[in-house]
Amino acid sequence: MIGTTLIRIRFFNASEASWFQLGYAVLCFALWCSPGVVTPGSARAETVAGTPIVNTAGLRYELNGAATSITSNTVTLIVAERLDVRLVRDGEGAIVVAPTSAPRPTVVPLTLTNVDNGTEAFALTATMSAGTIVVRSIVIDANGDGLYDPAADLALASDTTPPLAPGQSIKLLAIVAANDATAANATLTVTARSTTGSGAKGATYDGKGDGNSDAVVGPTGATASVTVPLTTSLAGPALIKSQSVRAADGSQNAVRDAVITYTLQARFTDAVAGARIADPIPDGTVFVPGSLSLDGVALTDTADGDAGSFDGALQGARIAVSLGQVAAASVHTVQFKAKIQ
Amino acid sequence: MTTRPMITAILATTAFIAPAAVAIAAAGPLQITSSIMVEARSAAADGTTRVTLEKPSRVTPGDKVIFVLSYRNTGAQPLANVVLDNPLPKAIAYRSANPGSPAPEVSVDGKTFGSLASLRVRSPDGSTRAANPNDVTSVRWRLASPIAAGSQGQFAFQAVLK
Repeated sequence: MIGTTLIRIRFFNASEASWFQLGYAVLCFALWCSPGVVTPGSARAETVAGTPIVNTAGLRYELNGAATSITSNTVTLIVAERLDVRLVRDGEGAIVVAPTSAPRPTVVPLTLTNVDNGTEAFALTATMSAGTIVVRSIVIDANGDGLYDPAADLALASDTTPPLAPGQSIKLLAIVAANDATAANATLTVTARSTTGSGAKGATYDGKGDGNSDAVVGPTGATASVTVPLTTSLAGPALIKSQSVRAADGSQNAVRDAVITYTLQARFTDAVAGARIADPIPDGTVFVPGSLSLDGVALTDTADGDAGSFDGALQGARIAVSLGQVAAASVHTVQFKAKIQ
Repeated sequence: MTTRPMITAILATTAFIAPAAVAIAAAGPLQITSSIMVEARSAAADGTTRVTLEKPSRVTPGDKVIFVLSYRNTGAQPLANVVLDNPLPKAIAYRSANPGSPAPEVSVDGKTFGSLASLRVRSPDGSTRAANPNDVTSVRWRLASPIAAGSQGQFAFQAVLK
């Protein structure tokens, strides 16, 4: 199932009166190893911090022919909490930031995973290298679709995640905006730290772990950072593909019948005509009928009055969405679902 | 009348662990003390690495721990047919005998004991496979000869916190 998905975006450049077609390879489309897909079931369960390890040995012997058995003292060891965190970006490449006047804010999707053996909350900080691009807030992407929904996606309280169980992941969105129209590049750095403590590997926080266990900083330093290049002026459009998986049991395990939601975000710096997005349905999956949408509005599968269509050809099944005339500095989002076979 | 081989590293720390190891469980001619230790490595003056055992602190999943069983015959008579057994705590995965300690017999079901190579594990589908250290649920030592009055010894095995 590991392969490469090629997405095409075709657009008409009005100033040069010519068609352009760009191909983007989305690397490492792996149903079970993609960094954004969490498979807690596949990881070996670690003993949870605060668990008492209780040991008692037994002894049998004979004295003058009579059998006797005794037990040893009971020795108890409390498992310490190892503080670790992982933060990755969903997607790749530079993100084109829309101006503050744009109807939809630009978001940077991130996945934070508690790789601790205890329950832990993480404090997040976001810094921008310089320039006119600013980071407004970090919100929890409640439905994990990579899109900002102001009604459901709430900002982190005190810039801190809720407590996450061992192995649990949370989807986050950093909301960024360009304060003026001048061309600018910037680098967004988002850092997550364990609230119990962080620092050099082996640093200790006695009594601060779960169940009053001691806490010790793990190999990650209990800190994770991700840097994302941003720009207000990519030469030409950009298309960013991301995915999220939902299995029947509510987990994010990429198992048979799990549904993958693909999000294709097309970002345009200039006004173009005749823009069209096409994406093949990945091998090993089947398109979920009626799941195609553009900017949150459902599209029918048939090639008819609306912009979208699904071509179910045995070889080369694909979706296509015609964007037509596209405004400058605009972002359009196509989503569809595919079921793992 | 042999005294079991002592593990020098443990001897060095006996005075240290004694207070932590809790009182001897039962009054009788044979006493047994169990303790859980971790290895501490330090550079010795001759350039070698010296491994000592110390009381654990901050043990996290994946860490190696050493289970030590110490026995002593405080009575006036030899004790025969001595068997020490140690069912493993659930979160502990057996690895091997500690260097200097005789190898224990192991069991994957708590009933049949033997060398690891002699044991097999039954899979849910009814087939069997060779046992590996992660399958071990219990270890035991059977002393071939009686423990003389006043003598003592230790057994130890290495394990990993799951």
